[in-house]
Amino acid sequence: MAGLLVGISSYVSPCPAHHSFAMFDPAKTVTVIGTVKDFQWVNPHVVLWVYAPTKDGGAPELWTIELTSPGNLTRVGWTRHSVTPGDKVSVDIAPLRNGAHGGGFKKLTLTESGKVLTSEFKDQERPGLQ
Amino acid sequence: MRFACLAFMACLALGRPVAWAATGTIDTPPKAADWAAIAKLPDWSGTWTPNITDQDRRIETDPTPWTPTVARQVAAMQAEEKAGHPRGLFVNCLPQGMPSWMLISHNALEILFSPGRVTLLGESDGNRLRRIYTDGRGHPADPDPSFHGHSIGHWEGDTLVVDTVGVLPQTIIALDEAVGVPNDGDLHVIERLHLAKPDILVDDLQIMAPHVLRAPWKTSRIYYRQRARKYEIEEGVCLQGSFSNGTDREGHASFVPVPQMDGNSKPQ
Repeated sequence: MAGLLVGISSYVSPCPAHHSFAMFDPAKTVTVIGTVKDFQWVNPHVVLWVYAPTKDGGAPELWTIELTSPGNLTRVGWTRHSVTPGDKVSVDIAPLRNGAHGGGFKKLTLTESGKVLTSEFKDQERPGLQ
Repeated sequence: MRFACLAFMACLALGRPVAWAATGTIDTPPKAADWAAIAKLPDWSGTWTPNITDQDRRIETDPTPWTPTVARQVAAMQAEEKAGHPRGLFVNCLPQGMPSWMLISHNALEILFSPGRVTLLGESDGNRLRRIYTDGRGHPADPDPSFHGHSIGHWEGDTLVVDTVGVLPQTIIALDEAVGVPNDGDLHVIERLHLAKPDILVDDLQIMAPHVLRAPWKTSRIYYRQRARKYEIEEGVCLQGSFSNGTDREGHASFVPVPQMDGNSKPQ
C-alpha cells in the first residue's frame, strides 16, 4: 500500500457515537496520504473518504474513515467545512482489523495549511468549557 | 404546579376503576403561578456533557447484578468486543432508550422545565427525548410500551426523583455499544437527579429488571454543564448516516443510500 505508513501507537480512545469501534485496531496507526473525495457531516458518525495513490501507479484506493458525531466534533473545533473535497490530507487511522480500506479516525493534517485536527474530547470532562 | 388529575381524583372518590381517568383531561392550562413556580427550581440550564471516563469506570466499580445466565452472555459479548468483533447493539439506529441513554451516551443533553413537566432532549440516535411528568399524575394503568417508557417525577428539595415504567422489553441495558442485553420486560427505573456542584449534575439510578438482573442495579452517571455555543445540541438523525447527498431523476436534492457494514459506511 503506497501512500500509506503503518506504525504502532499508544491507545487512542475512539469515542464512538452509536457503535463500538472495536472493529478498528487502536494499537496500530495507518497514515492515509491522499486527496479528499468527500466529507459527510452527519450523525451518528461523520465519514471522510480519501483517495490514496498506490506505489505501483495503479488506480488510487478509496479509504473510508469513521469519525465521531458532528456534535462531538464541533466541541473540539471542527465544522462541516473543516475538510472539503479536493483537499490534500494526511490522515492517521486505526485500521479495520479485517484489512479492508477503512478505519477509525485519529488525526488529520491538511497538507496545504499544515493545520492539524483531532477528535479527542475526553479532556473535556469538566464544566464551563469555551 | 398543575395538579391536573381532578377527574382522576374524582373517579377515585367515586370508587371507579383508575383506568377511567384515562378518558379525562390530564393536561390543564398552566396558570401564572405554575410558571412562577419554575423560577424556584434549581437552575439546570445549559447543555450537559457526560463524563465518559466515569461511565467506563463504573462498569467495574458498580458491577451489574446480572442473573447467572445473562452474566455468561455478557461475558461472551465482552470477549467478542475485546477480540475485535463487537456486537452492533444499536447499529439499527433504533433509540438506545431507557436506561441506556443515561448509561452510555457519549453525547450532550439538555433539560427543559415547563409547568408540570421536565423534558430531556439529546442528540445522536434520533433526537432522543424523555418526557417526565411532574404534575402529580400517576403512571397509566397499562402504558403502551415505548423506548423511553412512561416517566413521572417529583421534587424532593432540589432533587428530581423520576420513576419510569412501560419500557419496551427489547430495550437494552447496555454497558457499552457492544455489550448489553434486552431488559425482557417489567423494567422499572428510579432516578435521583441533583446538582453535586453548581455545574455538575449527577443521576443516581436504581434499575430493576427482574428477568435479567438478580437484584436492583445501583449506579450513577455524571454530567458537566456547558454554556458555550459549540455545546448547543445538534440534530441527531441516526439513519442519516446511511445516506449520502445526491440528486433524484427530477434533479431535486435527495438522499442516496450508502452501503453499510457494522454500522459504518462500507469500505469499497
